[in-house]
Amino acid sequence: MTTITEPDTHHDALASVRRSRDRRPSRWLFTLLIGAIAIAINIPLLNAILVSMKPDGEIARNPIGLPQNATLDHYANVLYASGYDFPKFFVNSAAIAIGTVILVLVIAVPATYAIVRLGFGGRWIIDSASGLRLLPAIFFVVPFFILFSNLGLQDSIPGLILANTFLNLPLAIILLAAGLRDIPTEVEEAGSVDGAGIFRTLYSIVLPMLASTVVAVAVLVFIFSWNDYLFALVLSSSNATPVTLGASNFVTSTGIRWGDISAASFLSTLPPLLFAVFAQRYLVSGLSAGAVKG
Amino acid sequence: MAQTLAHRKKNAAALLLSVPLVVFALVFVAYPLASGIATAFTSKSLLDPTEAFNGVDNFVSIFAKPAFLNAAGFTALFAAVVVACEMVLGFGLALLFDRKFPGKKLFFTLTLLPIMIAPALLGIMFRLLLNEDIGAIPALLQSVGLSVSLFSPSSVIPLLVVLDILQWTPFTFLIIYAGLQSFPRELLEASSVDGAHFFRQLWHIVLPVLKPVLFAAFFLRAIDAIRTFDVIYVLTAGGPGTTTTTLSIYIYKVAFEQGDFGKAAAASLVVLICLLPFVPFIVKRIASTGMEGK
Repeated sequence: MTTITEPDTHHDALASVRRSRDRRPSRWLFTLLIGAIAIAINIPLLNAILVSMKPDGEIARNPIGLPQNATLDHYANVLYASGYDFPKFFVNSAAIAIGTVILVLVIAVPATYAIVRLGFGGRWIIDSASGLRLLPAIFFVVPFFILFSNLGLQDSIPGLILANTFLNLPLAIILLAAGLRDIPTEVEEAGSVDGAGIFRTLYSIVLPMLASTVVAVAVLVFIFSWNDYLFALVLSSSNATPVTLGASNFVTSTGIRWGDISAASFLSTLPPLLFAVFAQRYLVSGLSAGAVKG
Repeated sequence: MAQTLAHRKKNAAALLLSVPLVVFALVFVAYPLASGIATAFTSKSLLDPTEAFNGVDNFVSIFAKPAFLNAAGFTALFAAVVVACEMVLGFGLALLFDRKFPGKKLFFTLTLLPIMIAPALLGIMFRLLLNEDIGAIPALLQSVGLSVSLFSPSSVIPLLVVLDILQWTPFTFLIIYAGLQSFPRELLEASSVDGAHFFRQLWHIVLPVLKPVLFAAFFLRAIDAIRTFDVIYVLTAGGPGTTTTTLSIYIYKVAFEQGDFGKAAAASLVVLICLLPFVPFIVKRIASTGMEGK
C-alpha cells in the first residue's frame, strides 16, 4: 500500500524529459483536452442525470438538450410513489454491502495476520486467494444456487452477504497481506517483550498501523458488493433484491417510465460515487495495490 | 523449553485466528467447487434436483451444438479487442495526465467515476442514451441524417466494444498511472542528459520498467473481459439471436432459462479447465511485482 497516487503528491515521471523540449505550450491546453476526455467518458452518467430532471413529456421531445422545465418529480416517484419498491431495494443494497464489509474484515484480518506473521498455512494460501480471484465467478453460480436452496439462504440478505463475502475475500486477503508486510515486525516484537499477548498485539498495535489498508479494503468491498449483479440475479427474487437488479423495475402497463428509471439508476450509483469523491485516496491505493500485489 | 512453549502458544493462536477463514473456505469455496464439478456429471436440473449420474453426456451435448463454441468465440474476440484498446488508451491517458495542469485533481476524479458505477446500472444508463425513442445518441445521429439501428446484428458488437472501452479504460489508466508515479526518476534524468528523444525514452526505458504494471493491468482486464456478463446481459441479453452471447451469459441461460444445471456445470468446468493453466503463471508474475524491494 505504498503506491499512494494522489495527483498532487506525484512527481511527474516524464516531466524532466519533456522540459528539455518544452516550448512552454499552455498548460491550459491539457486542461481542455483532458477535460473533454473526462467529460466524454461520463456522458452516460451525465445523460441519466439530465433525463431524470425532464418531465415525462419532454424526455422524448428533447433528447439532447438540457431540461427546459426541470423537475424533481421522478425522484419523488422513485422514493415515495406506492407500488415501487425502490426504497426497499436501496436498503437491501446497503445492508448487503455493509454486512459484507463487516464479515470480510472479521474473517480476513485475523486470518491474514495468522498467515503473514504466525506462519499459518504459508504462501500458498495467499497464492490460492490470488488464483481464486482469477476464476470466472459464473462457475460458482450453479453450486451457490443449489447450496443456498438447501440451506434456506435463497433470496435472503444473509445469503447475499455470504455470496459477496466469497467474491471479495481474495482481494481483501491480498491487500491486507501486502499492508501487513509493509509494517516493520520490530514494533510487534517490542510489544511481545512487554508481555502483550498475540491477540492484544493484533488489536492494539497492528490494527492501528494497518488502519489505512483496512479502510481501503472496506471501501473497495463496499463498492464491489454494492455493484454485484450476477449473484443477486441468481440468488434473490424479491425479498433481498438490491438496486442493481431493481433499478430497472419501472416498466408499467402504460409503458416504460424512463424518467423514473433514470432517477433510480442515478440514486443507485450515488453511494459508490460519493466514495469515489471523498475516499479517493483509499480507492486508488487499494485498486493499484490490488493489481500489482496479487 | 520456554522457546517451545512460546512456539506452541503461537501455533494455537494462529489456528484460532484462522478458524473463521477455514470454516468459510470449506463451506463456501471447497464445497461449491466440489459440487460444481460433481454436478457436471449429472442430469440435475432446476425442476428436478435429484442427482442422476449421466457420465459425459453433458459434455457431449455442449459440443453437439455450435452455441457453446460460438459463445467462446465471441467472448475471445470481444475480450481481445476491448483489452487491446483499453491498454493503448489507458497508457496514452496516463501519459497525458503525467504533468501539472489546472484542474488536474477534478479531472482525475471524473476519469475514475466509470469504474465505480455498477456495470448493470451503467447498462441502464447506456440504454437511456441509446434508446431509439428517447436516446440522445440516435437523436444526434438523426439530426446529421444518419439513421443507424444501434442494436442491429451488424452494429451491436462494435457498440458493445465501445461501451466496454468507455467503462474500463479508466481502470487501465489508473493502474498504469500509479505505476508511472513510482517510476525511478533518476533513470530518465540520466538518459535525458544523453539527449535521448522522448519516444526513444518511452520505448527503451519507460516501457521495460513499467512492464510488470502493464502486465498486471492487462491480465486483470483480460480476466474480467472474459467473464463479462452484466452490461451485455442488461443491454442485449445476449441477442439479437445469440450474436452477443458471452460464455457467462451462455452458462447463465443454460442453467436458469433451460434449467439444465448439469449442462451448465459442465460448460463452467470446460471454461475453468481452459483458464486454469494461466492462473499459476499470472499469480507468479503479479505476485513477483508485489514482492519488489521486500
